[in-house]
Amino acid sequence: MKKAFTVAKWEFFEKIKSKAFIISLFLTPAIIIIFSVLPTLLATKESDSTKAVGILDFTQKYFFDYKNEIEQYKIDGNIPAYAILNNYKEDLSPDSLIKQADQMVIENRIDGYILIRKDAKDSIKVEYRSKSIGNFQDVARFEEAFNNLRIKRKLIEENANPALVEFIKNKVNVNQIKIEKPGEEGKGGFESVFFSSIIFILLLMMMIIYSGQMLVRSMLEEKSNRLIEILISSCTPKDLLFGKVFGLSALGLTQIIVWLIIGISLIGATLIPMNAFENIHLIFVYFILGFVFYTTLFVGVGSIVSTEQEAQQITSYLSLLLVLPTVFIISALQNPESTIIKVLSYIPFTLPSVMILRVNVSPIPLWEIAATFLIMILSIIIVVNVSAKIFRFGILYYGKMPTLNELKSWLKE
Amino acid sequence: MLEVKNLVKTYGNITAVDNLTFTVKPGKIFGMLGPNGAGKTTTIRTILNIIKPNSGEVLLNQRPVTKDLFNSIGYLPEERGLYKKSKVNDVITYLANLKGMHGHTIKSELDKWLKKLEIPQYKERRIEELSKGNQQKIQFISAVIHNPLLLILDEPFSGFDPINQQLIKDVILDLLDNGKIIILSTHQMDTAEKLCSEILLINEGKEVLSGDLSEIKKKFGGNHVKFGYEGDIRFLNEMDEVISFDIYSNTAEVHLKDEVKPELFLKKIIEKVTIKHFSVIEPTLNKIFIDSIKNPKV
Repeated sequence: MKKAFTVAKWEFFEKIKSKAFIISLFLTPAIIIIFSVLPTLLATKESDSTKAVGILDFTQKYFFDYKNEIEQYKIDGNIPAYAILNNYKEDLSPDSLIKQADQMVIENRIDGYILIRKDAKDSIKVEYRSKSIGNFQDVARFEEAFNNLRIKRKLIEENANPALVEFIKNKVNVNQIKIEKPGEEGKGGFESVFFSSIIFILLLMMMIIYSGQMLVRSMLEEKSNRLIEILISSCTPKDLLFGKVFGLSALGLTQIIVWLIIGISLIGATLIPMNAFENIHLIFVYFILGFVFYTTLFVGVGSIVSTEQEAQQITSYLSLLLVLPTVFIISALQNPESTIIKVLSYIPFTLPSVMILRVNVSPIPLWEIAATFLIMILSIIIVVNVSAKIFRFGILYYGKMPTLNELKSWLKE
Repeated sequence: MLEVKNLVKTYGNITAVDNLTFTVKPGKIFGMLGPNGAGKTTTIRTILNIIKPNSGEVLLNQRPVTKDLFNSIGYLPEERGLYKKSKVNDVITYLANLKGMHGHTIKSELDKWLKKLEIPQYKERRIEELSKGNQQKIQFISAVIHNPLLLILDEPFSGFDPINQQLIKDVILDLLDNGKIIILSTHQMDTAEKLCSEILLINEGKEVLSGDLSEIKKKFGGNHVKFGYEGDIRFLNEMDEVISFDIYSNTAEVHLKDEVKPELFLKKIIEKVTIKHFSVIEPTLNKIFIDSIKNPKV
């Protein structure tokens, strides 16, 4: 075991010094932030300046009331969120009016304009025309404002009590609250749970894939220059295997710690929702278990390759297994109790990422947590033994990849 | 003393090592010779416990070679290479650590060896910045730094220029004085001839010849002459006295029939070509090697 420690120390310090590692240490969180945090940020953060929006009302019935409705939306400091502009002029034809309004949008004089006209069947048709489609918030507001206006008018037409008008206008929204313990409310809706789960799963995957590749590549180097023979005549294959797994796990831990520090400082900057870290202790354990499991697997399977191409093949197959659960992320969030999710959370290959997901979505009974831990620990023990056997032969195996039968005979010896 | 008894190693249908038995005594260099693919490397790997033999046993001073003996073994594999991106100092320290050495001992031994091999200036350089020869020196150091009892060198001279070959030879002979058990595997016959006192010649995993080199030469015997000449000596083909001959540039080695007297042979050829020198010789190891491998029955 002392020699395993020597190997671990070497693997750790040689890799931590490498440029590739230092770059990935900071690049990975940057990529994750770009892909996961930024969209949430952009999607939910209100715009901080007044938008100029035109109204082109061919019916000539809605402009003033509609303008009042829309101007009720405010941004910080009680400033109206939209400045409304009338695009209608009596002396121009509808076609040239539309052209003129389009021109204003193209020239960025207005953000967009709302076109109100009657269609063939004499019913009202409303369009929001702008350069970018995808501003859900604006469109939702224009829709709400227009419908409010219609309902109000209809009710007044029918001589309804004005209080009724106000009553109908005040819609009730359904809020989603996640329950963790009786009487204790979790925060955050679908989006924040989705993104915080994704962050951890992405981190786990990127880390495993990255370090797995690094590991297979370094073993390939040792194999191709026969350093492995010097190593194996200095310590046992098991020492070497343990050393590599320990060294890499230490490296992984360092990575997580650095990333957590980055993450916590980002919470400080209110970029990441705090609730992403609510179940951090459980996530941490699943993270480590998953990492050790896959790393050991990588060492065993990686030992049989003898060319760069084979190394790439093997690492991508293994990575595929790892990435597989992401297919189920949405369905796990919508229905965490579904059978398929339950099944996947007991298969060691998918267990860590599925459990990280489930921990975030809904509370998990203690027995299930204990059971999954146990499964993971047992699988790690099995994988260590299988990998050690494959490793013993694999590291001295050159030429084409061994067949399944050969692998079987290695396992038997 | 290293004893190898009835060693057998097969890969599928191929028998790489076929019932080899030999003993290596300390204080002498044991040459393991054989053509490419003869089973030299497999034998070495089995001795080192890198691979398990199908049967047979290997004893180092009466003890089987297991992990307890790893620290007493030094090995220089045939293919060379080290962690390219790492520093000389770091790589040797790591490998020495794995051999059970510790901090300050490694430091002083490393400095001693770098000086001995005339490369102290490379201590803090990356391996990839070194020339091939100097990388080999680093690897040689990693095989000997822990002062192993058993040292196995697989083609230690390949890739060195003549000056460095001489340097390494001297270093190996120095090590011998310390009572080490040294196995030298090579197919450079002239080096083996100069360094080894005992040899084992193997082909296709089987022993072809073994024992004390001078005795082998005597036993192999034969009537050999070597001469330098100027002119055309293709007539050797037609001479009844000649069994076989090898021609190098302007020198020839001739194996004569036992009853032929060398001086009579000289008289005959001196009429046909200009002879610059002529001597009666023992068969070279090279000759023994080629003859034993090509016609094992002779």
